[in-house]
Amino acid sequence: MPTRFVPDRSSRPLPCPALSRNLLIGPLVAALVAVFAGGQPARADEAGSGALVLRREGGAPVEAPRLKADAAITVSGPTARATITQAFRNTTAEWVEGTYLFPLPEDAAVDSMKLVIGDRVIVADIRERQAARQAYEAAKAEGKAAALTEQQRPNLFTNAVANIGPGETVLVQITYQQTVRQSGGTSSLRLPTVAAPRYSPAPPALHLASDGPAAPDPVPDRKAIAAPVLDPARHGPVNPLTLSIDLKAGFPLGAVRSATHPIRVEDVSESERRVTLADGATAADRDFELTWTPAPGAGPTVGLFRERVAGAEAVLAVVTPPTDAAPAAPTPRDVVFVIDNSGSMGGASMRQAKASLLVGLDRLRPGDRFNVIRFDHSMETVFSDIVPADETHLDRAKAFVAGLEASGGTEMLAPLKAALQDATPDEAGRLRQVVFLTDGAIGNEAQIFSAIASGRGRTRLFMVGIGSAPNGYLMRHAAELGRGSFTQIGSADQVADRMRELLVKLESPAVTDLTATFSAAADVTPSQMPDLYRGEPLTVAARMPEAKGTLTLAGRIGGQPWQAVLRLDAAADGAGIGKVWARAKIGDAETARITGRLTADSADAAILQLALDHGLTTRLTSLVAIDATPRRPHGARLARTDLPLNLPAGWDFEAVFGPGGEPVPAKPPVQRRAGAAPIQTAAAQPVALPQTATDFEIRGLIGAFLLGLGLWLAARARRLA
Amino acid sequence: MTRPVAAPSGRPPLPRARGRGLAVAAALLCVAGLVLLGQGVWIPAKAALAQGLLERAFARTLAGEGAVRPWPWADTVPVARIVFPRLGEAYVALAGSSGQALAFGPGHVEGTPEAGEPGTAVYAAHRDTQFRSLGRLVPGDAIAVVRRDGRTARFRVTGRRIVRWDASGLDPHAPGRRLVLATCWPLDGLVQGPDRLLVEAEEDAPTEP
Repeated sequence: MPTRFVPDRSSRPLPCPALSRNLLIGPLVAALVAVFAGGQPARADEAGSGALVLRREGGAPVEAPRLKADAAITVSGPTARATITQAFRNTTAEWVEGTYLFPLPEDAAVDSMKLVIGDRVIVADIRERQAARQAYEAAKAEGKAAALTEQQRPNLFTNAVANIGPGETVLVQITYQQTVRQSGGTSSLRLPTVAAPRYSPAPPALHLASDGPAAPDPVPDRKAIAAPVLDPARHGPVNPLTLSIDLKAGFPLGAVRSATHPIRVEDVSESERRVTLADGATAADRDFELTWTPAPGAGPTVGLFRERVAGAEAVLAVVTPPTDAAPAAPTPRDVVFVIDNSGSMGGASMRQAKASLLVGLDRLRPGDRFNVIRFDHSMETVFSDIVPADETHLDRAKAFVAGLEASGGTEMLAPLKAALQDATPDEAGRLRQVVFLTDGAIGNEAQIFSAIASGRGRTRLFMVGIGSAPNGYLMRHAAELGRGSFTQIGSADQVADRMRELLVKLESPAVTDLTATFSAAADVTPSQMPDLYRGEPLTVAARMPEAKGTLTLAGRIGGQPWQAVLRLDAAADGAGIGKVWARAKIGDAETARITGRLTADSADAAILQLALDHGLTTRLTSLVAIDATPRRPHGARLARTDLPLNLPAGWDFEAVFGPGGEPVPAKPPVQRRAGAAPIQTAAAQPVALPQTATDFEIRGLIGAFLLGLGLWLAARARRLA
Repeated sequence: MTRPVAAPSGRPPLPRARGRGLAVAAALLCVAGLVLLGQGVWIPAKAALAQGLLERAFARTLAGEGAVRPWPWADTVPVARIVFPRLGEAYVALAGSSGQALAFGPGHVEGTPEAGEPGTAVYAAHRDTQFRSLGRLVPGDAIAVVRRDGRTARFRVTGRRIVRWDASGLDPHAPGRRLVLATCWPLDGLVQGPDRLLVEAEEDAPTEP
């Protein structure tokens, strides 16, 4: 399990100018300090928060100062489109290559990048990752301005910018699509442009595009500014952030607030707000978070959006169940708990699984019925059939669970089938649920999935991932197929909270048996509608030649039939709907690849096609922008004629540069030393390597020594006797 | 410590008692020593024995029987045979890199692709059993991985490096088709430590049927 250390602020390597003088020693010292401090040097999502990293070949990347940032976000129902413009300055006297690291929400899709160097605007286009990288490297070697956006991890991207001139300011505009998070009726949006405490570059750790002599220290006054380093919170760069959010919630809005920043909210309409920072600009020293809630409503509210993309129309419907959907009398439930006690669950996982199951048993009410199945390579059911949840039965089940020990193989198929076996498939008025606790360490996923798909009937399957669960994606898919949900329990202290959340879902399904039917032909995702549990919205995306006809949503709310017919021509215009659809399809293909429904190659081909069609940065595609004309060392004058000088829409120089329009601040912000953080960012979540040493030699040595000592003593004892 | 001396008065209970105590201590030490020695011998013996069983199970997998458990209570299945042609060594690797799997053979680290698939496949094994050989691999050496589907992916060693276990910098989804073999570092270390030796290799031709 890739243990994630809680980043210990006190162990962050403190700058040490004397040691960092040397380019090679700097990172080494930082790494050593991190090692001795006993923790992971830093987490990528901490470090890679939007700082330009200047790189020298072979050297560790170091961060350059960030100057100013502007964020413009449009929220369209369940999606948000963010345009982040950041201005950086090359403070050295050298031509440099900058690598810009930025963390994004895990489900964010970067689909556009624009770069302005001096007065040149370069718009990136999407290419296959390798091809993009090659084109970028070639342009870099030829002295052309070029930029490359790559996905390093689903939530970590890099921008590389080649040939930034001495003293030049670089503007980077990234546009991405983000999904609004929903939880218990509250929607929230997080803007990850936080400036975690920055350190100024170690001395000349820069890529010298000109291969010239060693660059001078970018912070000649490093000694003079050494004091602020001690307290990054108080002496950090000002780094002003301006922000505007157009909030089109898709439903009548209740409260709109931010827990992180003071905001000003303007009412545009019942369901629309315009949000700006109350102070105009703020120091970007923490994530910005905006939350909003719907006005209380009786029936599910539906948000309907459309966007015309590439000759077709993408439609997005969002269904939010009503907040007061909890039925007056809870529906009685039949619950089958399945617990994995195979060898891979040994240790902490087994304890967590047992604790979770006991919590589940405790929440059963009189009138509910249940059974417990355990499995390793064999399986055992506590009762021959489901039994009433009375004290006698519960006590017996609890004793059984408490006595479980982890050993043996993982034969998941038989217990799964047994749990899905429904004696009375047509019985109405009772919920049938399977709670499946496992680490998912299996190899026959395809069998599992087909068993779920063919055998689920009215049963809902709730996967509970225990421990590190490397198979988390599969668990998610199993829950999807089983129309349940996936809960991840990674440590013992999460058991209580996560299980409570799950059990609340189990007890109050808001909308079941959902179907979404378009009257016209449409490519719909998801292909199978999930049940909606408390606080969860349904998001249906479709692509069709023209958004006309109707979308019929039907289902049952707490047993009562419910239906809504939406006229597609009434859909509001929304930004990024096409991307949402494409991203959902890419997610489907990634799942298919992992589950073996598609081979790696054909899934990759499908992903590549979708990514190229919709301009999305993925595992396989990158955005690359290349200037037409070499500029180094002749400067920008020659190149100016070849490129449009118009600023693309969305660029706000005033926001970026201030009303004076002064392109470059007279003085760069205070710079501080680069810590170990940037080194780590290149590997956001590297493969954790297992322990691969045994102690048999030392055991053998100690054993032999003890044996020798014993024999010697025995000889002594005999002589004495 | 005073040496027990036979009492001249003809009263030997003290030395006898002391002798008995020594005999008990000696017996305890011998038992502890034998247990530890046994464990010490059992670990490599288990690894060696297991390879035989794994080889048999993997042969059946290659013959088309699908995933075959090497012994009925095993929690893992053989997934590949890693061959070091120059050293004349071959090891059958297991699915997963839990301690249970690694006790018997190299483990295919979870979350990394199979060798020969796009990305970086990572296999780990104990430094004192199968992957002691990693120390003898040099850049340019061939490594072959026979996969479950019978295909053989061929790699060439490009280099080696030492990393911390939690900072490997390995990206399973990195472009290209790569293979990384990992084991504990230093190879002759006596105690368990945080460092790992990585031998990195790149596929030199598309997989052959």
